[in-house]
Amino acid sequence: MNVIYTTAGNILIIAIEGSIDSNTAGDIQVNLYERVAEATNVLLDLSEVDFVSSAGLRMLLLIYRQIKSRNGKVILSGVSDEIKDIMALTGFINFFEIFQNKADALNSF
Amino acid sequence: MNTTTVSGTFTATLDSLGSIRKFISDSGRTLGLDSGKTYKLSLAVDEIATNIINHGYTESGIKNGRIDITVSSDDKVFSVTLEDTAVPFNPLESKIPDEAALSIPLEQRTIGGLGIMLARENVDEFRYHFSKGKNINTFCVNLK
Repeated sequence: MNVIYTTAGNILIIAIEGSIDSNTAGDIQVNLYERVAEATNVLLDLSEVDFVSSAGLRMLLLIYRQIKSRNGKVILSGVSDEIKDIMALTGFINFFEIFQNKADALNSF
Repeated sequence: MNTTTVSGTFTATLDSLGSIRKFISDSGRTLGLDSGKTYKLSLAVDEIATNIINHGYTESGIKNGRIDITVSSDDKVFSVTLEDTAVPFNPLESKIPDEAALSIPLEQRTIGGLGIMLARENVDEFRYHFSKGKNINTFCVNLK
């Protein structure tokens, strides 16, 4: 799994590529939470993510909490139908704004 | 009725999760399971395998653990069986979040139980039994 960090103005864009499972989530979390700790607005782009397990949901939850505690905004883009399914099943979907693509997501901040 | 069976053995470490999912999806593709059902089955297996690795083996101090996986398919049902010799653990006895728990705002939520829930709810049937020192977790998906 790869994680690419970029910024657009005051928005931190986190693009993840690959599968988010207990193994890969463990590999990236230290770096990821350090980056998120300095951000107020986060766009998480999942266009290149082919698999998310409960470890990925836990990651989403922790990012969401960090950002919300600073009254920031978390937006998701490129979420596949399979990932939307598990977000719906676990009640996560109601708490996230989800856009089809990165450009629309960026415009909504 | 024709039954096809494929087996594999995996080291019980988290870096096996990718190869376990690949084994499930390759078998699913070969044996005619559609991609949506294959994804859900891989997720269910990933969650239980993660539990076996983290709680069953690692936290219990059992070294050199393995997970044996058997995939089998007939005309009606595609099934996956995971066998391990970690501490006994029955996922059917775990409390899974109910509707009320799943509507709690994320700020106040406890995260526990989601993995087992995803495992149980992404297949048509989930079974567990303990026999001859082995945990046996079985996942079934109806082909039609």
